[in-house]
Amino acid sequence: MKEIKLEIVTPSKTAFSGAINSISVPGTSGAFQVLYNHAPILSSFEIGVIKISDSNNNELIFATSGGTIEVLENKILILAESLERPKEIDINRAEKAKDRAKERLASKGKEIDQSRAEAALQRAINRIKVSKNYS
Amino acid sequence: MATLRDIKNRIVGVKNTQKITKAMKMVAAARLRRAQENIINARPYSRKITEVLSHLMSLEKQSGNPLLQEREVKKIGLVLVTSDRGLCGSFNMNIINKTISLVNEDFADYKKNDAIELFCVGKKGFDFFKTKNYRIGNGYPGIFSSLNYETAVMLVNEYKTKFLNGDLDKVYVVYNEFKSVMQQNIIVKQLLPILPQTEHQEEKETDYIFEPDKLSIINSLLPRYLNSQMWTLLLDSYAAELGARMTAMDMATENAKELIRTLNIQYNKERQATITTEILEIVSGANALKEQ
Repeated sequence: MKEIKLEIVTPSKTAFSGAINSISVPGTSGAFQVLYNHAPILSSFEIGVIKISDSNNNELIFATSGGTIEVLENKILILAESLERPKEIDINRAEKAKDRAKERLASKGKEIDQSRAEAALQRAINRIKVSKNYS
Repeated sequence: MATLRDIKNRIVGVKNTQKITKAMKMVAAARLRRAQENIINARPYSRKITEVLSHLMSLEKQSGNPLLQEREVKKIGLVLVTSDRGLCGSFNMNIINKTISLVNEDFADYKKNDAIELFCVGKKGFDFFKTKNYRIGNGYPGIFSSLNYETAVMLVNEYKTKFLNGDLDKVYVVYNEFKSVMQQNIIVKQLLPILPQTEHQEEKETDYIFEPDKLSIINSLLPRYLNSQMWTLLLDSYAAELGARMTAMDMATENAKELIRTLNIQYNKERQATITTEILEIVSGANALKEQ
C-alpha cells in the first residue's frame, strides 16, 4: 500500500510525524477520510475524533478540539490546538469542566460568554466520549 | 575601625549570600534549558499557522473579519509582559520604563482622555502600576508558575473580547524577546487589529479544494493565530526572564567573590596589626622588667 506522510503539530509539540495509510478527520462540513493520492485540500475541522491507520494498519485515535488540515501531494499537515490520546485524557478533569460549562450556560450571561461556555461543554463531552469509547 | 570578629562575621554573611546567588543561577540555568525546549517545540505550529494564513489571505484580500478591521483609534490597550519574581536585573524595569514612555509620550493624548488601558501580565508590572495613576484593564499575577497554552488563550480572549465589543480599537504588547542568555530585546508589537502578512511568497499556485470555503477557514484560523502568537510571546518572555536572572545572579556571585577577597585582606591586615601590638606590649613589658 502506498503511504502518506503525516505531520500533526500542536502549540506545545509535534504530536505525530510519520507514514500512514489513511486518516479521517471531523471536517467542518462533514467528516472525511484522506487516502493515498487525495486531491489537494485545505479544510478546517471541528471538535471530534481523528482516526489514523498507520503503516502497520494499527488504528490510532486522538481527541481534538479543532484545527486545520492541509493535504498536498501525499503530505498532510494538521494544525490542531489540542490533541490527546484516549489514555492521556484526565476523565475527572473533563467531568468537572463539563459541569462547570453547564453551570455557566444555565446562568444567563453575555452572549460571548455563552458561546464560549458552549464550546467548553462540547470539548468536555468529546473528551469523555473518546476516553470511554477507546481506552 | 572594625574589630576582627566584625570582619569575620561579614565574611560569613557574604559567603552565605554567595551560596544563594550561585544556587539561584543554577536553578535559572536548568529552567532556561526547559524554557528553550518549549520555544523550539512551539515554533513549528506558529510558523505553519502563519504560513497557511498568509497564503490564504493573499488569495482572499477582502475577508471582512472584524479582527483585521482598522478603525479610528479612540481607545488603546497595552499588554505588558513582566515576570512574577524579582532578582533578574533590569528585566522588569526595562518593560516598565518602556511602558511609561509609551503611555506618556507616544500616547499622551490618549492618556489625557483616560483612553488607555494596561493589561499587566506578571506580578512585577501589576504591582508597579496598580498603585500609580494608570487605568488597569486587568492584572495577571502569578501566571508563570503554571504556564500553559490555556493561559495564553485566556489572555487573548480578554483583549479580543474588548476589541470586538469596541472597548478597544488597537492593542499593543510590550515584552522582552529572548535573544540570548545575555541579551534581551524590548519589543513593541501590534496585536490587534491583526496586521496583514507582508511577506507573501509567490509559490506555485496549487488548486486546493477549500472546505467549507476560504473565508470560513480564515475566520477559524485568525483566533488560533492570535492564541499561538501570545503563547510564543509568553514563552519568549519567560526564557528571557530566566536568562536575565542567570546573568544577574552570575554577576552577584562574582561581586561576592570580589568582596570576600577584599574582606579577607582587611581581616589579615587587622590580625597582623593585633599581633604586632601584642608583641610590642610583651617586649616593652620584658624591657621594663630588665631595667629594674
